[in-house]
Amino acid sequence: MLGATIGLGAVGLTLTYSILGFANFAHGELITVGAYAALTLLWVVAALAGWGLGQWGPLSFGGPFVLLLAAAMALTAALALGLERALFRPLRRRGTMIGLVIASFGASLALRSLVAFAWGPEPWYFTREIAIAREVFPGVRVTADQLFVVALTTVLMAGLHALLTRTTLGRAMRAMSENPALLAVTGIEPAAVARWTCAIGGALAAVAGLLIGLTVQVRPLLGFDLLLPLFAAVILGGVGSVYGALVGSLVVGVAEALAVPLIGAEYRAAVAFLVLIAVLVVRPTGLAGPRP
Amino acid sequence: MNAAGLVVDDLVAGYEPGVPIVRGATLEARAGEIFALLGPNGSGKSTLLRAVVGLVGVESGRVRLGGDDITGWPTHRLARAGVGYVPQTDNVFTRLTIDEHLALAVAALDRPQRRARIASVYELFPDLAGRRRLPAGHLSGGQRQMLALARALVPAPRVLLLDEPSAGLAPALVDAVLDRLRRARALGVTIVLVEQNTRVALAVADRGCVLVEGQPRLVGTAAELAGNAEVARLYLGAR
Repeated sequence: MLGATIGLGAVGLTLTYSILGFANFAHGELITVGAYAALTLLWVVAALAGWGLGQWGPLSFGGPFVLLLAAAMALTAALALGLERALFRPLRRRGTMIGLVIASFGASLALRSLVAFAWGPEPWYFTREIAIAREVFPGVRVTADQLFVVALTTVLMAGLHALLTRTTLGRAMRAMSENPALLAVTGIEPAAVARWTCAIGGALAAVAGLLIGLTVQVRPLLGFDLLLPLFAAVILGGVGSVYGALVGSLVVGVAEALAVPLIGAEYRAAVAFLVLIAVLVVRPTGLAGPRP
Repeated sequence: MNAAGLVVDDLVAGYEPGVPIVRGATLEARAGEIFALLGPNGSGKSTLLRAVVGLVGVESGRVRLGGDDITGWPTHRLARAGVGYVPQTDNVFTRLTIDEHLALAVAALDRPQRRARIASVYELFPDLAGRRRLPAGHLSGGQRQMLALARALVPAPRVLLLDEPSAGLAPALVDAVLDRLRRARALGVTIVLVEQNTRVALAVADRGCVLVEGQPRLVGTAAELAGNAEVARLYLGAR
């Protein structure tokens, strides 16, 4: 499950990295904002209409969850577009790559501080219900929510694959990652492709945030704490490769999960980086990157 | 096809503001003709093409397409208005298949038009039709050049700008490129051709000019340019 949620964030990050040409360190905060946006909407509809999260069978949520998901994706996509328009696009026009990276650090800090100021530093929960884990394989116990996370991630990744391979936008995104000027010569506006890339990355980040919030907790450092595993997954999979980011996420997620019982939770991030270093020594461009 | 001429009027353009490479170029490619842009290395031929398609900043002057002022238009808008461009290098997307290249170029058309345009281009480039699902990165240099040309022709441009399409190609492939250009001209496409290989250019062009230090010097028909002693001495190896 950890790999699946990292995957959603990593895919958005690698899309931004390959298509817009810079490492967006504010991507972690998009995950956080997605979780808080959904949580706040839940409070609002609960206060106005008396709706709760609902419940579908063994899942801890029901129909309203779909509305929260859609709304959180839209709001976070809008935030990503706002950052692109107000901050990253002007800097990209001036051609200062280091300026873009530093600006993304600044945006990350500003968003994190705003979230902590607005919602406080304490963690929040979508539900206080205790989820019962059931054994699905010998020695493997999962909750229904965790299975849902994996299933939803699979569906979203299949949808992204279809977008990238069967639509004009997807072809344009792949083309732009290679040669934005030639894309313009072909009659497609690169700035429009950049906007869609930001929106899709933001929407996927919101899903990751909501799913983590649903299965764990919502807190101001939710996305920031994921940033290193996200970058590890992106680099491990090969920068620019969506499929590589997914494989990288699975490797990072499994490595971190296995590390907890072996060496303790406080060192699990280090395990992901040890795996990353080991892979890069053998294949410097990542698992799905071009042959060096 | 709606044939259109291309007029460049006193164009000043360059990669850095205040450092012009093209210095007051004026030329006219008439509707449905092949116009060759000749000149030594560094004379600004490629920069002129890039300025026309919006990839290089224009400081002053005008560009007209069939009477419409298109100066300063963004590149993608020019492409949709019928200005096709084939750069000399990096002219294909290596990770996209041949089919995907063509689909992207006609994305603005409706589905029946897209199918018709792609089918007609595959008739013009049968070698590509047999490899349509191959990524461009798996093609040979000559096949990539054909793909770049096909990608530019598939939306039925009114004007086609080509930057050294024969560079690095074997003679048989050069002949194939020239054949496609003649057939495109027969369909009414106006072609502006930048070529280092003056013989190749004059073999297919109707008219042309020689660009020196960003300014046109000699202008005339292909026969006039081929017969010009200075052109012959400088570019055709005549003694």
